[in-house]
This record gives sequence, C-alpha cells and structure tokens, in this order.
Amino acid sequence: MKLLALLALAAFAAACAPVAPYQRAYLARDDMALDGNPGFMKAIEKTYSAKEAASGGGGVGGGGCGCN
Amino acid sequence: MRRFLAALAIIVCVPAAAVEAGAPAPALSMTPLEGGAPVTIAGLKGSVVYVDFWASWCPPCTRSMPVLDELYKRNKPRGFVVVGINKDASLADAHKLLARIPVTFVLVQDGSDAAAKAFDVKGMPSGYLVDRKGVVRYVHRGFNAEHAAAIEKEIDSLLKEPS
Repeated sequence: MKLLALLALAAFAAACAPVAPYQRAYLARDDMALDGNPGFMKAIEKTYSAKEAASGGGGVGGGGCGCN
Repeated sequence: MRRFLAALAIIVCVPAAAVEAGAPAPALSMTPLEGGAPVTIAGLKGSVVYVDFWASWCPPCTRSMPVLDELYKRNKPRGFVVVGINKDASLADAHKLLARIPVTFVLVQDGSDAAAKAFDVKGMPSGYLVDRKGVVRYVHRGFNAEHAAAIEKEIDSLLKEPS
C-alpha cells in the first residue's frame, strides 16, 4: 500500500511536465529565450554554428522547437 | 493488488506508440484552415498522401513548405496529395507565414492536438508518406536537402504502385 502511495505521488505530484515538440509555439518565441538579449544571442548562435558546422540545441530562436 | 499496481505502472511508464513505417495511417477528421468540410485521411485512400506537421515557429518547417508545394504541383495529376497539419498556437501566426510563403496544398488545423497525438509526433516538422492503401510507408523527422531528395524518390516509387 505504501508503495502504491509512493507510485501515485511520483506520478501525479511531479512539478515538471514534458512539453511535446508540437506544443512549443510559446517556448520557441524570441522573448522566451533564457538570455535577456535574444537578438544578440541569435547572432552569436549563428556565428557559432557557422564556425563549428553545428546547429541546434541553443536556447534562442527556434531552439526549443524539437527540430534538427 | 499486484495486478492493479502493475497496470498502474504500465499506464505511468509506457508512452503512446509513435506511428512508424508499416502502420496504418490513423483515422482522423480534420478541419481545414479556412473552415469548411472536414478532411479525412481515409477519404484520400487511393492517393499517395504526404501528411506534414508544420508550424510558423519552426524554421525547418518553413523551409519545407515551398519544396512540398513544388512536389505537390508536379505530382498532383498522378494522384499525389499533401495535407499540411498546422501546429501554431494561433491561426493568425499560420496565416502570417502563408502570406509570405503561399502554398496550394490542403491545410488543416489541429487545435485539440488530436492528430499530433494520434501520430505521436516526435519532432517538428514530421512527415508521413502514406501509400494508396492507407499505410504509412516512410516517416521523415526534421527537414533538410537530404530529406527533400528522399521524399521526391519515395513519392515517385509509391505513385508507381497500383491502388
């Protein structure tokens, strides 16, 4: 019974909820970026991805959309 | 009690199965972006259908739109259909993008996420190429030049298959 209670607690009391890739419209907005200056970070990210031949994973412009 | 516990664990731990190649296309009825009669994938049986989940906030989706439109225009007479399922939070955002990148294929809305859940979309964009018999034959997650070339070949091979 204790195990059941623990399982129920783990299942329903978690503070984090996964956001499906198709539900990231708000997360993908520029003003949802972690950095306070999303425009500047976008430029840095672009330069970084060009220099390193890598893209995605950043916290700016489209980084949250689950696309590659 | 053990059975109940096991059932609960299964419900909690097992995610919905994603639609992969070989699975039948989910039966869905979707409202066109502009309203009107619903679009059903079952109603398109006999055609080769590319079901594309897209959104204006997803950069690869915006790159895929003109390519899909070109493929649609070219292969439409042979029985090829594209159904673009929009995943914008606001339809106004979708219309803003469509004003910039107009397309001629069928566009539908999925405000309730019913279609995205039925396909268990794992990334944006996601494309499902459905054959004339209603079976998903190819799945594309993401979009780049390689995807574009592969989709073109796959469409051609599926259009050659009898219905």
